[in-house]
Amino acid sequence: MGAYIQFRNITKKFGGTTALNQVSFDIQEGEIHCLCGENGAGKSTLINLCGGIFQPTEGQIFIGGKPVVIKTVEQSEKLGISIVHQEIPLCLNMTIAENIFLNRKEAVKGLFLDKKYMNEEAAKLLKRFQLNLKPTQLVEELSIAEQSIIQIAKAVYYKPKILILDEPTAALTDDQRDVMYAVVRELVKTQKTTVLYVSHRLEECMELGDRATILRDGCFITTRDIKDLTMDDIVTLMVGRKIDRSKKRESYVRDEVLMEVKHFTKKRQFEDVSFQLKKGEILGLAGFVGAGRTEVLTAIFGANRPDSGELYLEGKKVNVKSPADAIRHRISMIPENRRDDGLIASMSVQQNAQMVVLDKIKNGIFLNKKKSDALMTKMTSDYLIKAGNPSNPIFTLSGGNQQKVVIARWIANHPSILLCDEPTRGIDVGAKDEIYGILRKIASKGIGIVIVSSELPELISLCDRILVMHEGKITGEVGGDEATEAGIMRYAAALKDDYQYADE
Amino acid sequence: MKEKLKSFRELGVICVLIALIILLTIARPVFISPTNFINVVRQTVQIGIMAVGMTFLIISGEMDLSVGSIFGTTGMLAATLYKSNVNPTVAFLVAILVGCAIGLLNGILVTKTKIPAFIATLGTMKIFRSVAYAISGGQSISVFPESVMNSWVFKMGGSLGPIPIQIFIMAVIFVVAGIVLAKTETGYNMYATGGNPKAANLVGINTDRVKIMGFIISGAVSALAAMISIAYLGSVPTTAGEGREMDVIAAVILGGASLSGGRGTMLGTFIGAMIISVVKNGMVLLSVPVFWQDGFIGVVLILAVLLDTVMHRKDSRG
Ligand SMILES: Nc1ncnc2c1ncn2[C@@H]1O[C@H](COP(=O)(O)OP(=O)(O)OP(=O)(O)O)[C@@H](O)[C@H]1O
Ligand SMILES: [Mg+2]
Repeated sequence: MGAYIQFRNITKKFGGTTALNQVSFDIQEGEIHCLCGENGAGKSTLINLCGGIFQPTEGQIFIGGKPVVIKTVEQSEKLGISIVHQEIPLCLNMTIAENIFLNRKEAVKGLFLDKKYMNEEAAKLLKRFQLNLKPTQLVEELSIAEQSIIQIAKAVYYKPKILILDEPTAALTDDQRDVMYAVVRELVKTQKTTVLYVSHRLEECMELGDRATILRDGCFITTRDIKDLTMDDIVTLMVGRKIDRSKKRESYVRDEVLMEVKHFTKKRQFEDVSFQLKKGEILGLAGFVGAGRTEVLTAIFGANRPDSGELYLEGKKVNVKSPADAIRHRISMIPENRRDDGLIASMSVQQNAQMVVLDKIKNGIFLNKKKSDALMTKMTSDYLIKAGNPSNPIFTLSGGNQQKVVIARWIANHPSILLCDEPTRGIDVGAKDEIYGILRKIASKGIGIVIVSSELPELISLCDRILVMHEGKITGEVGGDEATEAGIMRYAAALKDDYQYADE
Repeated sequence: MKEKLKSFRELGVICVLIALIILLTIARPVFISPTNFINVVRQTVQIGIMAVGMTFLIISGEMDLSVGSIFGTTGMLAATLYKSNVNPTVAFLVAILVGCAIGLLNGILVTKTKIPAFIATLGTMKIFRSVAYAISGGQSISVFPESVMNSWVFKMGGSLGPIPIQIFIMAVIFVVAGIVLAKTETGYNMYATGGNPKAANLVGINTDRVKIMGFIISGAVSALAAMISIAYLGSVPTTAGEGREMDVIAAVILGGASLSGGRGTMLGTFIGAMIISVVKNGMVLLSVPVFWQDGFIGVVLILAVLLDTVMHRKDSRG
């Protein structure tokens, strides 16, 4: 086995920022190679160089011993490279099958697209990924988890020589992830596919990877065999110092009820959902994708009107008709999908960060540049946002840093209730702890927090109480202290006997 | 510094404008004479004022094809009222309010019934063109009573020293609009609405209200442009404002706004409007047949937008 992909002295500069600095390492044929690093370390940039999105400022990539120049996405595909990018670029207005065969010759018969062939092949693929969807469904109807699986499926379908996955599991549940593992392992075994894998869930790297390369601030640190590493080793290498991940959970729950959801029902989304949130409480919502968690959150926030049900804030019945109403009642929501629902691509980092806090930077009717800059500086340091120049467009930030901007914005709004939907999607270990710390701190001030997360360890370490949903209904409740992954999963799957116990 | 210059979005169009001015001055030195140049700026007023409303709208992700018809309808309406000796101030206000009302109608059609702006305003464009003809009976309207001609409404067509008053009006409108757009929450909300309506809605911006406001402003400034035009010309031609919408949209796009929303500035739009009147004036000076005017504006439009994409491709691709 020799080096299959070689990076030699790769440097990539964006104006003043150096995203990659003289990076050299090798990936061997048929291995699963993990790429680890903090937010903004340069992982996606390296991948974009392989995908023909950017060209290196300096340096050379070799594939199979030959120097290659990858100027376009097409050239990258010709080299047998298939990439699942961090942000999902699917055509929302097209069907699953159409997306899978987008710009592909396989489905073209003469002048026409062979719809039957496309749908049959897509159906097989969906089955392989255990997705209960029809090939003719529109992508916009799918959850983000399903969209990311479609992305992975699309990449795998063409039997690539090199498969690159940039945080493919950020939105997936454990089950979906296991299915993906199986597919990737099969590709490696049967076709000697070489895999480059990026994930902030280090346990995935430990489980799946053969070797890992660590980047820090755009520089190559080391490449090691995974079996010689522990997760703590990787973290230390990534951050360049030891971090303490064993912070103990404290509870700040007070007696006053902050919010009460009563009998929220919406056809085909959720049914008779009722719960209370106390001041200072961190309440988790667990369940599989499609269990209706996001729908419930958006219903509280006024972005998705329930068919029936009532919402009480501090004992008073309120009618939240729109997100603007919710914000007036001091409710914040960090949405699940930062690109579509959180960020405005045409605006700068600073403008995006200060979207809901304009009142705090106004002098009379005018927005004040000084106040705005001061607030930005504070946000960047509180949330460890790595942004060269805050007046650059938001898309120049790495994925994790974009997510931090969304979080910073909503907490700066001083909510009394904070709804979070997968708040740490794409955020690195160090910054995750920082954000957990911030959430605990605002909880200690009496703010109530509801968190939807597919990462059970996150919920278990953070929440005072966890509600589990299954097919739109709350099927169980576990206290934060006695919560275990297995216990939660049982409710989430609504296993028969436990279900009955839960009702008693 | 270089970074700063690069992020200065209007740079491209400013270059185009300066190049045009230099070329025209070389070909016809009279172009740069104060009289002619003031005339060029005055010719910018109509398109410029209407383009202010269009800029708000295009930034918010919408557009308004009915501005020319609003110009026609409100112009004919005011002229008829002037002729029947209604108090000129009242006539003026009625015309502006009718402009606002048509804007409101456009806004409601687009936001509440979800008809795309292109179609909704194409519809109202046709409707109010007919209304304009109906008001005037298909005739042009001119010769107004003495009392009206002496009122402040007609002073808008006059001059202050060598400079037409309408230039001052345009300047004030551009400055106020520029400040609103760049420095207030209203402007911010417009950029957000055009940039990503879903996300804007989720941060609590009432995107429907932002758009309706844009349509109302667009209707109001179109009516104002009509009032200035009557005051200056002393008449309203039968086809007043016909085809104007395309010049107005061209000015906004020349100025760097994006039809997909979220991008654009008032300075850019002003330069865009200037380019159009410089081209028109230049063609006359060079005695190029009038029918070439539109063609040449088309060429400049495509070249300027091309220049803009080339200059800014870098930062989006790395
Ligand atoms: N188009 C761009 N223009 C300017 N700077 C950019 C651009 N793309 C990335 N950068 C910068 O390059 C650096 C590396 O970004 P990259 O996206 O590679 O990080 P990453 O390792 O993938 O992080 P994450 O884990 O958050 O996804 C960041 O500082 C980012 O701000
Ligand atoms: Mg990334």
